[in-house]
Amino acid sequence: MASFFKAIGEFFADFGTAVSKGDFAVKLSLLWMGAGYARRKQYVKAVIMTIVEIALIVFTFKFAMEYVPKFATLGTVQMEKVFNMKTMKSEFNDYDNSFTILLFSLFSFVVWFAGAVVWMRNVVNVYELQKLEEAGKHINTFREDFHSYTEEKFHITLLTLPVLGIVIFTFIPILLLIFVAFTNYDQQHMPPKSLFSWVGFQNFLSLFGGGGLTTTFGYAFVRVLGWTLVWALFATFTTYIGGILLSLLLNSKKTRMPKLWRTLFIVTIAVPQFVSLLLVRNFFANNGIVNTICSNIGLTGFLQHIGLVSNNYIPFLSGPGWAHVMIILINIWIGVPYQMLIATGVLMNLPSDQLESARVDGATPFQVFRKITMPYLLFVTGPALVTDFVKNINNFNVIYLLTEDVYTTTNQAMASSQAKEVDLLVTWLFRLTQDYYNYKMASAIGIIVFIICAVFTLVAFNRMIKGDREGTYQ
Amino acid sequence: MKTTKKVLATMLAMAVAAAPAVSVSAADETIKLTVWGAEEDQTLLNELTEKFKAAYPDFNFDIQIGVESESTAKDTILTDVEAAADVYSFASDQLFDLVKAGALANLDEVGEALQVAGKTLDDVKNANVEASVEAASYDGNLYAFPRSGDNGYFLYYDSSVLTEEDVASWDSLLAAAEKAGKKVGMTYASGWYNASFFYGAGFTTGLNDDGTTTMDWNGTSPDGISGVEVAQAMLNIAANPAFMAVADGDISNQLATGDLCACVSGTWDAITAQDIYGDGYAATKLPTYTVGDKQVQQGSVAGYKFVGVNGFSENTGWATVYADFISNEESQQTFFDQRESGPTNKNIIESDAVKANVAIAALAQQSQYSSVQNVGGKFWDPAKTFGEMLAQGSVAAEDTAAIQETLDNLVEGATAPIE
Repeated sequence: MASFFKAIGEFFADFGTAVSKGDFAVKLSLLWMGAGYARRKQYVKAVIMTIVEIALIVFTFKFAMEYVPKFATLGTVQMEKVFNMKTMKSEFNDYDNSFTILLFSLFSFVVWFAGAVVWMRNVVNVYELQKLEEAGKHINTFREDFHSYTEEKFHITLLTLPVLGIVIFTFIPILLLIFVAFTNYDQQHMPPKSLFSWVGFQNFLSLFGGGGLTTTFGYAFVRVLGWTLVWALFATFTTYIGGILLSLLLNSKKTRMPKLWRTLFIVTIAVPQFVSLLLVRNFFANNGIVNTICSNIGLTGFLQHIGLVSNNYIPFLSGPGWAHVMIILINIWIGVPYQMLIATGVLMNLPSDQLESARVDGATPFQVFRKITMPYLLFVTGPALVTDFVKNINNFNVIYLLTEDVYTTTNQAMASSQAKEVDLLVTWLFRLTQDYYNYKMASAIGIIVFIICAVFTLVAFNRMIKGDREGTYQ
Repeated sequence: MKTTKKVLATMLAMAVAAAPAVSVSAADETIKLTVWGAEEDQTLLNELTEKFKAAYPDFNFDIQIGVESESTAKDTILTDVEAAADVYSFASDQLFDLVKAGALANLDEVGEALQVAGKTLDDVKNANVEASVEAASYDGNLYAFPRSGDNGYFLYYDSSVLTEEDVASWDSLLAAAEKAGKKVGMTYASGWYNASFFYGAGFTTGLNDDGTTTMDWNGTSPDGISGVEVAQAMLNIAANPAFMAVADGDISNQLATGDLCACVSGTWDAITAQDIYGDGYAATKLPTYTVGDKQVQQGSVAGYKFVGVNGFSENTGWATVYADFISNEESQQTFFDQRESGPTNKNIIESDAVKANVAIAALAQQSQYSSVQNVGGKFWDPAKTFGEMLAQGSVAAEDTAAIQETLDNLVEGATAPIE
């Protein structure tokens, strides 16, 4: 963190020095970006920088200025149209679209930011050239500069495209999501017909139950968040422990045909998850095969008798509590093979010298497991455990496929906020956007999910790699 | 801003001035239209499009037909209204959301384009049954052309197990089913189905301008029946061992198991029901249910399929003419002949062929008790939960206070403002 800010500070310091100590050409570079290069006879670079500068100016006036000035209001001109019978066409006014204004403004900001960095960097570069000239050193020709990008600066060439991709496909959309959380973008304010505008922290207020229009949103949020964390914890640790136990079993010398068993377990991975989940959902449906079997063998009747079940079916996936447990159990079945694979890989690389010496010292198998195997596993798979936890917070597939169309909440307060007891934050968010066009709330929830995941990951990773854990283990 | 308004005003003046002269000249430019229709209607749409082109030989059309199911039209269109098709089919419950998003052109504004086809918008309104026109209207303006009226539900039954008297009321229906060792299936956990009990008792739902719902289910209806009494009747039906509460969309699976001797569903299950019931295949209006000592006819929701014109379509005029063309009497007849789609056109409904179709005839029988369901988006989840609670019997039928509270919660949730 500190080094990051130091780098920024140095960048500005370099720029300051360049501007104050640079000669006329360097100073002129502030206005005409090609000036410094032209003065040092780097004409190709001068032309390129001039083109970049012109492109930036054209971009600013032809594109950005159409959207950025409206950024503060997100548009004021409502769509209006008139039907012209003579041409049989509708004629539209030049209406504002809040969404495009927001999106293209953000895009412009990113481009301008990049432009500013290039502009400052450019001045620093031409000052470097000035110093080279003053010292009488060789100034690279364009060919030599170009060549350096396939040699010592090859990393820059390699990384340009991925970085561009990340900015356009990841960074700008995330920025957009964050900004939408501060607007009233919902069904009542859907562009292009209507405009939406900034509302500050209003959405977060209603999310936490204060000042919002419905009190149930905060009520539902707390419960959904609670289940999300409980689920992530159980889903991560049950499959983790299950996977380790299973791989220990398969690795045991007493197990016959370990390869066959391993293959069988991996078959569950080979079948696409959504197929197996939908099948399992049907098995455990209220009128599904498992319920038929249970009622035939009298289990349903017994459960009814002791008061656990009030209907003539067992609500495996349709009753609160029941569904929660079932989801975690089904997830074990789906998740264990993956963990088994990972654990098997780690177990095969256990340092044999330590196992050997433990055996010589007369350690019991359980002692070996507790003192050697488990610490080693934890050490190697720790980071994977953290990512698993985060992945489970956002585990859309399992929850959505198992409960959609099957689970109906009987909690009216939850229903009023379109939530269900078995919803994770992501599935709730999905329904809010998909069925209710409530983009602003979905964005607010998205930010909360992001914060939870980010904080957890940072804390967990920091603890894990704090000091020299590797050394401690060895 | 000011100039835009000025331009608009001039355009408006021009439009008004031009209106009396109907002569739409055959322009050289190609009129481009994109059309979205259901997968199973593609061949038919192509056929109708050819007819349409033949009807206007003086014009150049470039009509592209794409696949979009009526039930999901809204989701796809609202993703990017400006890029969506000029003409598309959709289910009637999506009308409000589409109007709100500007995705439907106000036909009362562009209806004059129909002069090209030699008709007026009033002709369209008069040709189709009143309820369908009402369902296609919002705030007194027509927003879509009714094309089919088979998106409602009624009762399928096996006439080899149940008699016509049996299916007249829920009491006799369930008793006969129990005797036969069979079940009667209905979806409770859906506001589309469970509203039928309340509509039958005279309760209503309504839609406000801001997208919120109004409903009176927790009070007493104009017919003098209280919401609690309706809920009690529903609880009694659900508590009957011969009743099976089926999850939304699961009726056809349950039909296929052969356990159901009757079920509440719509034309989309006609083929399954025909397969299962064989010669006993029959359909009729929904039964009556018992409130106190009287029988109340169960209502239903009238659902339609509409053809709409995109509000952001440039060629609005021709899109309107085309949309009318594929939903006019002749086209509805073709749809009925080829796709067994229930018409909304008055003349076709009266035809013998339609009356002979078991499912569509039952739907027509039910239609006098059906109403248009005007509700906002906030209605569905609370109504679904309400139905599920009744199906599971989470409240006792004798506990009127608890039922009243449940109804109050339902109304509060469904009528909540949109945050």
